[in-house]
Amino acid sequence: MIGIGNSGRSDDALGWKFVDQFTSYVDLFDIEQRYQLQIEDALLLTEYKKVIFIDASHKTYKDGFSFYKCIPTRTEAFTTHKLEPETVLWLANDLFNQSPEVYVMAITGITWELHQGMSDVAQQNFEKAVAHFKKWLVNTACPVPV
Amino acid sequence: MKKKITIDPVTRVEGHGRVTIHLDEYGKVEDSFFHIVEFRGFERFIQGHPYWEAPVLVQRLCGICPVSHHLAAAKAIDQLVGIDPKDLSPAALKLRRLMHYGQIFQSHALHFFYLASPDLLFGVDAPVEKRNVFAVAIENKELAKKGILMRKFGQEIIQAIAGKKIHGVAAIPGGMHKTFDPREREYFLSGKDIPNVDTMIEWCQEIIEFIKGYHEKNKVMLDTFAAFPSGHLGMVDDRGNMELYHGKLRAIDNAGKITLPDISTDDYQKYFLEGVERWSYMKFPYLKEIGREKGWNRVGPLARINICKAIPTPLAEKERLAFFAFSGKKVNNSTLYSHWARLIEMLHCAELIRELLHDDEIMSSDLVREGKPRLEGIGIIEAPRGTLTHHYQVDEKGMITRCNLIVSTTHNNEAMNRAVRWVADNVISQKGTITDSMLNQVEVAIRAYDPCLSCATQALGQMPLRVELINHKGEVIDERIKNGA
Repeated sequence: MIGIGNSGRSDDALGWKFVDQFTSYVDLFDIEQRYQLQIEDALLLTEYKKVIFIDASHKTYKDGFSFYKCIPTRTEAFTTHKLEPETVLWLANDLFNQSPEVYVMAITGITWELHQGMSDVAQQNFEKAVAHFKKWLVNTACPVPV
Repeated sequence: MKKKITIDPVTRVEGHGRVTIHLDEYGKVEDSFFHIVEFRGFERFIQGHPYWEAPVLVQRLCGICPVSHHLAAAKAIDQLVGIDPKDLSPAALKLRRLMHYGQIFQSHALHFFYLASPDLLFGVDAPVEKRNVFAVAIENKELAKKGILMRKFGQEIIQAIAGKKIHGVAAIPGGMHKTFDPREREYFLSGKDIPNVDTMIEWCQEIIEFIKGYHEKNKVMLDTFAAFPSGHLGMVDDRGNMELYHGKLRAIDNAGKITLPDISTDDYQKYFLEGVERWSYMKFPYLKEIGREKGWNRVGPLARINICKAIPTPLAEKERLAFFAFSGKKVNNSTLYSHWARLIEMLHCAELIRELLHDDEIMSSDLVREGKPRLEGIGIIEAPRGTLTHHYQVDEKGMITRCNLIVSTTHNNEAMNRAVRWVADNVISQKGTITDSMLNQVEVAIRAYDPCLSCATQALGQMPLRVELINHKGEVIDERIKNGA
């Protein structure tokens, strides 16, 4: 489980805060935090069968979040220091011939300034996303700790 | 007819800048500027913080070279608690060096494999979709894989000492707070879990062979592209050999004449001034005695290989000799030789890492020394991009009252401007149509210095880079921009 974000930038804390909720699930997850995804994260993906990325999103989702399966895609950006999960997965496939099952949890945020603490909107979206994810774990027969 | 080209952005550099090229009515270049327009803040907002916070706070200047800022600040903070570099415990000094070499190794790997290699593999004329590391991944998988694994190796050395790959904490006033343990050492030596340090050395040698071949095929272009005389500044040890953690500052002119004679880092203020220009937030450091016009210096791999008498590890020294034998020059002033010099430094760092990993002292628990507090501390280190200065003053309660940072990229400010001017004069001037390839060559010239524009202005915020072409009426006729991230 890889949380992407920055707890010093308001709602960008969503990714890190999400993975913090699952630190006790030691038998189920290894947890990583990233400011940004980088090329070498492709190597990390090769060590796992299933990977969940969690990141704050500028997009407005009906339920406050979007949880979807990641399709490997080569996306272009002006910097190679900030990759999308789809691109990291593409690199894992292309360079290391590994295709882990990857999901993305994108949670809508609204403020991104230098500030500790999330907006009320992000907090509500966060709670909905966590609840959904826990249900998903049960439905996928993952052994969720009580 | 007015026309506007937007480079979106000058890519594969760290930070936000803008290039403007001014043309006269005949399309001839009149002037060019490399503007750095990021917000400057760290020197100011660190004031009022306790001194021991500096190594933790200032490393946030950068996500690529935080270890360099952490260690330069730590050296300065050591002095505030009365500890000069010679007073550190041997274990603390070796652990700091190990972390520093890991940092240079991973930063150089990032620059060469992720940022520079597309230009070398596909050429400056390659279409834009090929000028990135993903194209390298498709066409040269082994090179891309090695790049990733080499960067990972350096980052994991950092993580073993600082707890995290980025923004970890290792140095404390007067020493270090963590030692190495036998399992960590085994991890980097055995090769069971990751390619070991011997493999890193082997791969560095392979990549150096690759760049030698590239130079043989493209000698004329590499000798002349953005080549111009300049001073060169860096650190050397007592014998005049390359030194990356602590030594004396030496500068030479374009022909090798000493212009700064191995001075103590504590005396830097006696010899340097910083100029300012109204079109850039980045300053222009220069040697006081020579003056603003001719006293500026390049820093970084090319400067370091130029100023030193030798490199004190055998394999890198052999490559240094080959480097100068190939160019046939005593001092190399050709911008694009920076890549070759950078790879030789990677090899040097890998050799130093191997040496330290075999040294039992890195597992000692004798980590901290105490001294008599002072009110001023200066820490200078050779960061991946060049000479990095941190200077702090504190009040009697240990709160920071003044901070001066001279970041490596700042020293290269004049050189990058001259490199842009060279491309403007030789590639763009009076050519009529401005092509994508021409503008990419502006980026290639800047990129060779591996600038970190965020560091250089202690920036916050987003960071795209823009190139503008301006006609004699002051109108923007061509421009390229991209949104930052």
